[in-house]
Amino acid sequence: MAFVTLQNVTYKYPLTEKPVLQNINLQIQEGEFVSVIGPNGAGKSTLCYALAGFVPHFFKGEISGEIEVDGKLSSKSTLDTWVLNVGLAFQNPFNQISGAKYTVFEEIAFGLENIGVPRDEMKKRVEDAMSLTGISELADRSPYSLSGGQQQRVALTSILVMRPRLLVLDEPTSQMDPIGTREVFGVVRKMAEEGMTVVMVEHKVEWIAEFADRVIALKEGQILMEGKPNEVLTSDLLTENGFGVSRYTSTAREAKKQGLWKKQNLPVTLDEAVEGFKK
Amino acid sequence: MHERLSFHIKRDSFLHSLNPLTKLVLTLALILIAFTFPYYWTPHILVLAAIIPLSLLGKVFREFSVTALRLIIPAAGFLFLMQAFFQPVGTDIIFKFYFLDMTMESVLFAFRNAMRVFVMVSAFTLFLVTTHPSELMSDLTRRGLPGQFAYVIISTLQILPQMQAKAQTIISAQRSRGLDTESSFLKRAGSLIPLIGPLVFGSLVEVEERAIAIEARGFTSKQVKTSLHEVPDTAFDQFLRWALLVFIIISIGLNLWLS
Repeated sequence: MAFVTLQNVTYKYPLTEKPVLQNINLQIQEGEFVSVIGPNGAGKSTLCYALAGFVPHFFKGEISGEIEVDGKLSSKSTLDTWVLNVGLAFQNPFNQISGAKYTVFEEIAFGLENIGVPRDEMKKRVEDAMSLTGISELADRSPYSLSGGQQQRVALTSILVMRPRLLVLDEPTSQMDPIGTREVFGVVRKMAEEGMTVVMVEHKVEWIAEFADRVIALKEGQILMEGKPNEVLTSDLLTENGFGVSRYTSTAREAKKQGLWKKQNLPVTLDEAVEGFKK
Repeated sequence: MHERLSFHIKRDSFLHSLNPLTKLVLTLALILIAFTFPYYWTPHILVLAAIIPLSLLGKVFREFSVTALRLIIPAAGFLFLMQAFFQPVGTDIIFKFYFLDMTMESVLFAFRNAMRVFVMVSAFTLFLVTTHPSELMSDLTRRGLPGQFAYVIISTLQILPQMQAKAQTIISAQRSRGLDTESSFLKRAGSLIPLIGPLVFGSLVEVEERAIAIEARGFTSKQVKTSLHEVPDTAFDQFLRWALLVFIIISIGLNLWLS
C-alpha cells in the first residue's frame, strides 16, 4: 500500500471562485523522492499545504476527497498531531524563523522543545541535523543575521531535525547559489534513501532529473503528467503547456530538428547532453 | 544591530548565575521596599547599599553607570525639578523662580520620589542586563507560564527591530522613485501614507506565514514542552526568594501599620 494517497482531492480556498486543486489522484511510496513542477498558480504550494495538513485545517475552505499519509486520514486528524508525521518547509526563509530564539542552535531546537524531546537527545539531534545540512559553523549566529540562502538551510534543518516520515518542501532552494542547491538536493536524496518520503516543489529541472525518482507536472490545479524525470522533463507536452524546460533539452530539441541529435531521448542535464552530442 | 537584540550582556558572574525568577523577585523586592518602607532615606540607602554593589557583583558596573548617567539620572532629575516646584507642601520657601516656589518640604519630597524612580529603573536595568530573555522565558514556562505568552513577549522583542529595518527598506525604495522625505513636516507626513500599506499588509502576510512555520514545528503540540537550556535553580535561590518575600511583607506591613 502506498505511503501517501490522495484520492479525488478537490480544494477551494475560502475567498476564491475556482478550485485550486481539482481531482488530484496521487500515490507515493515510502522512501520515494517526488518532485512537483508547474507554472505560477498551478496549485503547487496548495498541494504542499494539503499534504502538510494546513489545507484544510489551517486555511479552512472547501475540500472533498481523502488525503492519507501513513495509514491516517487527514480529515480525521488534528493539525498538531499531523505535523509530527509530516514536515513542511516553504519558500520564504525569513518568515520561517520563529522569532523566539537568539541563536541558530536554539532556533533549530525550537520544534524539539515543542514536542517535548529530552534535553540530551535534543542537543544530539540538533548537532546531527546541522552537520547533515552543513550549517554547524552558524550555530551561535543570530538567525536574523544570515543570508537568504543560509536562512533557507536553517529552515530546512529545523524541519529535518523533527524527523518527519513525509518531508514536504516548497521551493527550498529559491535563494541559494548552485553549490547550495546541489548540497540540498544531495541531503534530500540521502534522507529519501534512509526511508523518508519527500515531496519537493522545484523549478531547477536539471537537479530534479539528477536526484528525483518521479516528477509530477501540475497545471491549473490538475496533474498534467507524471512519470520518470527524464520522460516528463523532455516531453513535448510540457513545452506545449508553457513549462520551463532545461536549456539542454531545448538545445537538443532544436538540434534534433536539424538532424544533429541522433539519440531517441532528449537530455535534461549537461552530462546527458555532452554524452548525446558525442555520438 | 542585528546581532544584538536584547539588553543582555554575557558575563560570568554570581548575579548572572542566579535563577531568573530569583532576580525577578529581587528586582520587585528592591522596588517595593523603596516605595513602601516607612523610612525617609530608604531609596537612597538601597542605591548605595544594594544597586551599586549588585552591579559590581554582576560585573556590569561600567555599562550600568553609562545607562544610569545617560538615561536614568536625567529622567529622575526632571521628576525632581517638577515635584520640587509644583508640590504644594510646606511654607518655608528656600528658592523662588518667578511664580514658582520651592520649599524645604517639597525638595525633600521630590528628592525621595526621584530616588524611588532611580531605584525602580536601575533595578530593572540590572535585571535585563544580567538575565538572558530565553533563560527567563524557559524558566517561567517551566513554572507554568503558557508557552504562547512567552512566545508573544520574546518574538515581539525580536521582531520590532526587523520591522524597523523593513520600514527603512520601503522608505529607501520609495525615495529612489521620487518620494519626498526631506521637505516640510506636513509634506513629509503626507508622503508617509503610501508607506503604511506595504508595511501593514506585508506584516499581516508575514504573520500568517510565521504561524504556519511555527505550527509545522509543533508549536500547538499538547506534549509537555522541554527546554534546551538548563536553568539552574539552587537551594540558595529558593532561600533568597523566600527571604526577599519576607522583606517585602515586612516593608508593606510596616507601611500599613504606621499609616
